[in-house]
Amino acid sequence: MARASIEILDEGAGQIFSKITPNEFREHMREKVRNAWRDKRMDIKTAIKQFVHDGDYLTMGGVSFVRLSMAAVHEIIRQKKRNLNLAAGTRTYDFNLLLDAGCVKNIDCGYITGMEVFGIPYITRKRVEMMITSGEVGISEYDNASMAWRHKAAAMGIPFLPIRNMMGADAFKHSAAKKIRCPFTGEQLVLVPAIYADVCIIHVHRCDIYGNSQIEGALNEDLGKSKSAKKLIITTEKIIDTEEIRLSPDRTLIPCFYVDAVVKIPYGAHPNNMPGMYYVDIDHMNEYMAASRDPSGKAFEEYYEKYIFGVDNFDEYLETIGGKKRLEHLEDLEHLRVRE
Amino acid sequence: MEKKDYNIFELMAVVAAREIEDGAFIYIGTGIPMLATSLAQNMHAPNIVPVFEAGGIAPQMPTLPLSVGCSRTTYRAIRTCDMPEIFEMAQLGVAHYAFLGGAQIDKYGNLNATVKGKYNAPEVRWPGSGGANAFGSLCWRTMIIMNHEKRRFVEKVDFITTPGYIDGPGARERAGLPPGTGPYRVFTDKALLDFEDKTKKMRLIGLLPGVTVEDVVESTGFELLIKDDLINVPPPTEEELRILREKVDPYRIVLSRGDQ
Repeated sequence: MARASIEILDEGAGQIFSKITPNEFREHMREKVRNAWRDKRMDIKTAIKQFVHDGDYLTMGGVSFVRLSMAAVHEIIRQKKRNLNLAAGTRTYDFNLLLDAGCVKNIDCGYITGMEVFGIPYITRKRVEMMITSGEVGISEYDNASMAWRHKAAAMGIPFLPIRNMMGADAFKHSAAKKIRCPFTGEQLVLVPAIYADVCIIHVHRCDIYGNSQIEGALNEDLGKSKSAKKLIITTEKIIDTEEIRLSPDRTLIPCFYVDAVVKIPYGAHPNNMPGMYYVDIDHMNEYMAASRDPSGKAFEEYYEKYIFGVDNFDEYLETIGGKKRLEHLEDLEHLRVRE
Repeated sequence: MEKKDYNIFELMAVVAAREIEDGAFIYIGTGIPMLATSLAQNMHAPNIVPVFEAGGIAPQMPTLPLSVGCSRTTYRAIRTCDMPEIFEMAQLGVAHYAFLGGAQIDKYGNLNATVKGKYNAPEVRWPGSGGANAFGSLCWRTMIIMNHEKRRFVEKVDFITTPGYIDGPGARERAGLPPGTGPYRVFTDKALLDFEDKTKKMRLIGLLPGVTVEDVVESTGFELLIKDDLINVPPPTEEELRILREKVDPYRIVLSRGDQ
């Protein structure tokens, strides 16, 4: 008796921006994990230079304006990386900066440009609209769940995951997902392709010199992302002794053998929130949003010049935003010692 | 119209809170859904489970969060997890309600948060789905909060970001979505609406204080079904306003945005 094959009921016309290569990835990991116990400390300039390349598929940790690796984003912009493909499940400020700086070629979209309660930066929205119309940027449409599952699929070492949303939505038509009939239940399912990324950057609360990392607060898509990128850069608020890691192994969310670089950047998520450490810099976000509303683009250029191109590193940046005094205030806000 | 002693955010939060029953598992987004859920929790529904998309489960929020991943969403929570786990709970059937917003909605409750105009030549490009598509597809009941304007309540949305009843009865199931799910209530600054069971079309079921049927019809870009026995939604009580102002959002982080 002939075996029934799984029937593809429908498929989207969207592009896949990352190659689905589970076997190649296995070979890569086989070698990579041999470096588990290497001291991986380096500075951010070196990490970005060594591990982020033009045309890479880049995925970043954190979500919304929480725990974003801003020192890495600034450095990518200063090093003028180009034609990046971006995973964009709830990206906000980090993604906007890369887009404004002309680093982005293709987007797997879950949520872009929006800043939640702060609104959408006008200039960035206009830029995206122009780039879509001219074909300068490629977009495939997903949502935060399917993007999270795409990362998870790769982290599981498989080429896709079956999911139960995206059906009946127009995003499906602009995605690379496929709809099938389930060989077990007969029901319809959507298959979303895994994202095997070239490089992932995640900002964490603390890690040791090998990259064993602890994170507080919401984890977003970071568990899946950390395992499914060829190169993983960890930026960290603090470097701790491995003994401390071993005292509470249940708190290690990213083990060292996935990690390629460890970069110490205190306050490295500013102006975003670092759960348990410092709160969102609301004044800075308002300044950024206000600059984005000048239709001439001049105010926005000044913003970028002041905070990114006009400084050499993140310590200098932290001085421009008000230094120690400002950062202590954000710590007080986070710990509810002062009111918003 | 006489001057009211509450603003539109306070009113919408109160109206939505009254619809939340005790024991419900709810996904909440930033803004009014947070106010409504927290108010319900402090009034008639102490046993609800509020959950945030980025990984916060049942926090005791000290002040209102600015985003769905902010540290206020995990403060004194019972667990923090990652996004796959959050969405898998919805897929598993754990989640009773999702609270969503959108830029456009149509008569079948389809929501657009992606694009106005042509997809490849957008008049306006909005951020896109975020968590909305999965929540609206997988939670049992979807509650929608929007401003009631003709340009938002349209005959057919330009892009279905989150499917409602798509093009009528049975369409969700035919598309392959889990059975028994779909839009349940729409809360606006003018009215309370549901979806009529047979046709799955949006229906006016209640009017907010001082609003007439004509006001609602004029602000709606499609033919609205109107229930026979319309509810006159009572204005916020003193107790509701007190809890909202003193306990839920004492710094008026969200409430102040309703002051206009």
